[in-house]
Parts: sequence; structure tokens; C-alpha cells
Amino acid sequence: MKKLLTLLIMVSLITVMVAGCGKTPERVEPETTETETSETPEAPATAEAGFAADSVIGVALPWLGTQNWAEADEMFKSKLEAAGFEAIVQHADNKVPTQQQQIESMVQNGAKVIVVGPVDGSQLGGVLEEAAAAGIFIIGYDRLIENTTAIDGVVQFDSIKTGVLQGEALLAGLAAQKGEGPYNIELFGGGPADPNAPNFFKGAMTVLQPKIDDGTLVVVSGQLDFTQAATLDWDNAKAQARMDSLLSGFYSDKEIHGVLCPNDGIARAVITSSGQAGQETPITSGLDAENETVTWIWEGRQYSTIAKPTDTLVSKTIEIIKALQAGNGMPAPDETTDNGMKEVGIYALPPLVVTKENIKEAFANDPGRMELLK
Amino acid sequence: MIYIKKILGDKLQDYTMVLALVALAIIFNIISGGKMITSSNFQNLISGNAYVMVLALGMMMVIVIGQIDLSVGSVAGFSGMVMAIAVRDLGLTWWVGVLLSLVVGASIGAWQGLWVAKLGIPGFITTLGGMMIFRGGVIWISKSISVPAPRELKMFGAGHLPEWGPAFTGMNNSTLLLGIIAIAAFAFTQLHKHNRSQKAKELWPILVRIALVSVVIGYLTWIFGTGRPGTSFPVPGVILVVLVIIYHTITQRTTFGRHIYAVGGNKSAAALSGVNVQKTYFLTMLNMSFLAALAGIMFVGRSNAAGPSDGIGWELDAIASVFIGGAAVSGGVGTIIATMVGGLVMTVLNSGLMLMGVGADRTQVIKGLVLLAAVGIDVFNKKEGRQSIIGRLFPSKSK
Repeated sequence: MKKLLTLLIMVSLITVMVAGCGKTPERVEPETTETETSETPEAPATAEAGFAADSVIGVALPWLGTQNWAEADEMFKSKLEAAGFEAIVQHADNKVPTQQQQIESMVQNGAKVIVVGPVDGSQLGGVLEEAAAAGIFIIGYDRLIENTTAIDGVVQFDSIKTGVLQGEALLAGLAAQKGEGPYNIELFGGGPADPNAPNFFKGAMTVLQPKIDDGTLVVVSGQLDFTQAATLDWDNAKAQARMDSLLSGFYSDKEIHGVLCPNDGIARAVITSSGQAGQETPITSGLDAENETVTWIWEGRQYSTIAKPTDTLVSKTIEIIKALQAGNGMPAPDETTDNGMKEVGIYALPPLVVTKENIKEAFANDPGRMELLK
Repeated sequence: MIYIKKILGDKLQDYTMVLALVALAIIFNIISGGKMITSSNFQNLISGNAYVMVLALGMMMVIVIGQIDLSVGSVAGFSGMVMAIAVRDLGLTWWVGVLLSLVVGASIGAWQGLWVAKLGIPGFITTLGGMMIFRGGVIWISKSISVPAPRELKMFGAGHLPEWGPAFTGMNNSTLLLGIIAIAAFAFTQLHKHNRSQKAKELWPILVRIALVSVVIGYLTWIFGTGRPGTSFPVPGVILVVLVIIYHTITQRTTFGRHIYAVGGNKSAAALSGVNVQKTYFLTMLNMSFLAALAGIMFVGRSNAAGPSDGIGWELDAIASVFIGGAAVSGGVGTIIATMVGGLVMTVLNSGLMLMGVGADRTQVIKGLVLLAAVGIDVFNKKEGRQSIIGRLFPSKSK
């Protein structure tokens, strides 16, 4: 027995040594070309080297709680593999520390490019700077990464434009279905930790504010600030609770005509809440064209949404990764924006308003959603 | 086998978790193709988890007195946010902001300590209230928008020790110095203990023990010191080690430390033997929130910004570390060192699963199972008259 144990211990000790020595920690000298790229961010694009066509690409997503992120998860996996890369796609359950550690583990796994859909766009600076120092390209996905120099570009749908379209869709819907004004409306914003959310709101308000000022629109609750309208963590349940209390507090003798909703989940929460309060379905905006919402629009329960096809976003991101792989550097951005530390290149894609009128054309190339329109 | 026992000391059960920790690290290293045991990953492990371990230090003491603190995450988030806002809006220097934040943490601790000690409200209820109050507070004062933190703080959350001295060592000399100090300190305390002990013991097991520990520390020093140039044993790790030494001393060597265990073991007996139970409760709760503030600052340093959801769920990670480290739910049992080992088990597990690309969903499931298994084995081991697994490996002549 003792001998057996001694043997066991010997074997495990040897394993330790082998495991330890096998991976001698090396002092990796960062490649100069890549360091220069991260130090001179204004002029992206001159890393001559590129990297191997089967390199590891890391994709850090915030969570899988909404359909667009679940789709991104699937598409990044399949499209990166199809392009010959080795993909590590992880989601962080909406927790900042988890996402930080996931990004670090992608660096460990030798990723050449890390695509980040941040949980909180301003809380990844330290980790991303480490990654950039290791010569890794960092691409923001769908959300701006703020408060750090370690970001090479952001692929997203134009968020101010999205807001403008939401505001316009709301106005058009009110005029079409709710007769003559003035209209009673309420405003909802997205999760404040997401840098897009204030931009959606700002964009929408550029359209709605003039109409509020001239009396066409009445925000009965008077809650006009983004901080009052915001929905923490984009949580539908919180939006529904806020709508419940707005309706019972301000609309006991009034009708609600329209609600500015920053995404589909919140729109459905608002519509559900209105139905429970005995109100007629208000005109709502939306975002993401989730399956459930596509059905609702088709059935006339939700007025509009905005499609930001995940497919387009993922394809654009992979296009940039391929350019980096070939050694062409970051392509020229469509615009730049100040993230608090530097001007970041934005690769902006156009969003698309979807209502019952154009829904069939909008999803003509999307067999999954066309299935819902029967 | 008896020799091994002589070298490691009598309490072999204490090494169960250490063995599990080493085994985990090795297994993950093999599965991940050597990505686990590397300089940069070890540095990440420490700087990415130091703040939870700091919480676990305080939580161990809270659990030993038979209470629990659910508010630590919220308090950490709140104190961090107070600092970030104070520095941004009031124009304070960063270190004044840090001091302010620690004072806020200690005040919150005093407030909660008062409820627990003077009013006799159970810690669970008091801190459940605190959890809501300070989560609401952080969202309120931040208007639920992240606030950038002063850049100097990065040092505490993700910083590295300076490079200096000769290059021929081939590693970061600050780390090397730390390693040498650690070995020297260990050797000194062991020899000192040996000289003071009344019974004439053999000297050789102690020398072997010192040699073994030196090899381990030496190996770790080498791992941490030979990363990318400019990296070293992380600063948050240094803060943690200093705290571990302080709290180990407090719990094992001071009257206050003995009072904590006495109160947790049997409150009435402790009170009858002249221990000031109220004071012990008060100080332990105060200390916990103080450490929570420190953890909050370390996290803000690492993140570059204080966010409205900072700290959500941290209390559970801290509590898990304490219980994996073998503390008893009923109070009175637990040590600082074992808690740190418990925390490291969680950390290595987390990191290993991430390196393998396991998602956050399944990671949670596995961590939950490990927690149950660890505590289960511990309870099984400690049932009266039953030998532990380790005890079976190393049969004792004396029993």
C-alpha cells in the first residue's frame, strides 16, 4: 500500500514538473509594428505583417439575454470558422468582472483580434490596455468602448440615427392611427451602462422635442430626462413596472397614445402593461426586430421596430478581421467619435425601420423571420 | 509516510484543499494545452480576483462570529462610486478620494455594527437592508451612469511593481525581492518557533519543510517574475498578501482574534468568561465594510471606471471562498489561510473553465457543484471518529 502511494506521489510530482516546464514562461517581446499601431491610433492601418489565416479570434459578448446577442453568438462561431479562423466566443452573463476575465483568457489563448460587445463600455480599459500591449487588435462590436486608448475601431449601427428613426416612426404611427393630436406619450430609455442608450434617446428627442414644445405631444408624467426614462440593464421587467406605475399614476382618466421604446423587449413590456391597465394598444417604436416582435407587428399589436440585422454587423466585423489578417490594417472608418480618451473610428451601418407595410420586403432575405409572416 | 507527516505538521486535513488546488491547476494546464500555468495567466488570476479575496478576508471573520454580511458587494460599489464622483466633481486629489471612500466604508460598517451589536438585529437582516440601501445609493448618486476613475488608481487594481536593478536575473527584480523576503520570513518564523518550543524536537523535518516551501515560493516567484517586460507580481496581489499577514496575525495572535472564535463557538460561554460580545460583533462588522470599500477601490482601479452595477454578486463569491476554505456555517471555525486557499480554488476553476471556452452559464453550474462538494467532503471528514481522506493516506501511529 505504501509503495503504491509513493509511486502515485512520484507520478504526480513528475506531472507537475512536466506541466510546469513544458510551458516555460517566456518574456515575449511585443512586435514593434503592432505596438506602433496602438500608440498612434489616429492613423490606423499600417501593420504590414498581418497574421496567420487560422489564428485565434476572440469574441466577448455581454450576454445571450436578447435575440440579437444570441444570433451574434451563433453567427460569429459559424462565420469565423467558415473563414478559417479559430473562434472563441464567450458571453459574460452581463457581469463586468466576468467579461474582464474572459478577455484576459482570450489573450492567454493567443487571440490576434478581440471583438468586444462590452457589458459596460467604460469599464474594460485596464484589461484592454493589457491586450493592446500584447499587440492584439481590439474591435468594439455594437457598443462604443469608452475611456481608454486601447480600441482600434467600433462596428455599429449608427445609434443617433437609430434614435431619430425611432422618433420619426412614433410620429408617423400617431398620425396614421390615433387621429388628430395632441397625443399623450411617455418616454423610455435603454440601459444607462450601454453607451448607445443615451444616443438613442438623444436622437429620438431631436425629433420629438420640437413637437413637445409646440404642444402636439404631451408627456403627461413630465418625465423628460434620460435618467428618469432609463431602464436599468435593459431589463424588461423594470420597464413594465415603470409603465404600470405611470399608467396608474397619470392615466386613470386619460388615454395613452404612444410610447417611445428603445428596444423590442421594452416595447412588449409597455404594450402588455397598457393592455392590463385597460388601455388601447399605444403606438410604440422598437429595436432589434426580435422574432416575437415580428409576429406582433404582423398581427398589428406593435406598430414599429428597427431592424439592425445581426448578419450585417457580424459580416462587417469579419470583413475588418480579414483585412487585418491580410496585413492591410484597419479600413478607413466612416466617421470618428470621441470616447473620452481618443477619437475612435466608427464603422457605421444604416438601420432600417420596419412596420406592417414593409415587413415582407424588409425580411425577404431572412428565411427564419419570413417563416413568422404566414 | 510518517516522515511526510513530520514535515508537514500534524494537521494534514488542512492540506486537502491545497492538494485540490494544485491538482486543478495541473489538470487545467494539461487540458488547455499549457495555458493555465503561465506568467501572464497567474498575474491575471491575482489581479482579477484580489478584490474578492479581500472581501473573503473580512467575510471569514464575520462567518466565524456566526453572522453573515450580504451587503459587501453594494458597499464596495457605493464606496467606489463615492470616490469616483468625489474626485470628478469636487476636484479632490485621487488619494484624498481613496481615503474618503475608506472612511465611508468604515462609517457604513459602524452603522451596520450598531444594528447588530447594540440592537441585536441578526446580521443577515441588517446587511440585507444594507445591500438594498447601498445598491440604491450607488445607482442614485451615479444616476446609473459609469463614472471614470482617476488614472492613478490603475496601480491598485492592475498595476505592476517597478523594474530595477541588474538585468542578468532575467526577471522582474521587485518580484524576485518579494520572493526572497517571503522565503527568509518563512525560514525565520519556523526556526524561531522551533527554538522556542519546549519539547526537544528533531530539527530535520523543519529544514526539509523550509526547503520545500522555498522551492514552491521560488517557483511562484519565477512564474510571476518572468512575464512580459514591465509586468511583475501584481500590486493588488501585494495589497492582498499584506492584508493576509495582518489578518492572520490578528486572528491567531491577538486577544481580539481569540474573542472572535470564542464568540462564534459559544456566545454565552464567551460572555460569561468576560468577552465583550457586543464589541466583538461591532468591530467585525465595521472591519468587513472597511475591507469592502478597499475591494471596491481595487476593482474601480482595474476597470478604469466606477459603474452602477459594480459589486453585484460579490458577497456570494466571498462567502463561497470562506466555506470552501472549511469554515463552519454555525460559526467558530475558519482560518484566514484556508479561506485564501478556498478563494484560489474558485479562481483557478474560473480561469481554467474560461481558458477552455466554457460559457458563463455552465461555469456557474460547475462552481455551484464544487461548493457543495467541498463543503460536503469537509463535513464528512470532520464527523466524529471518522478518518479524513488525507488521514487514510497518512495513517498515524499515535491514533
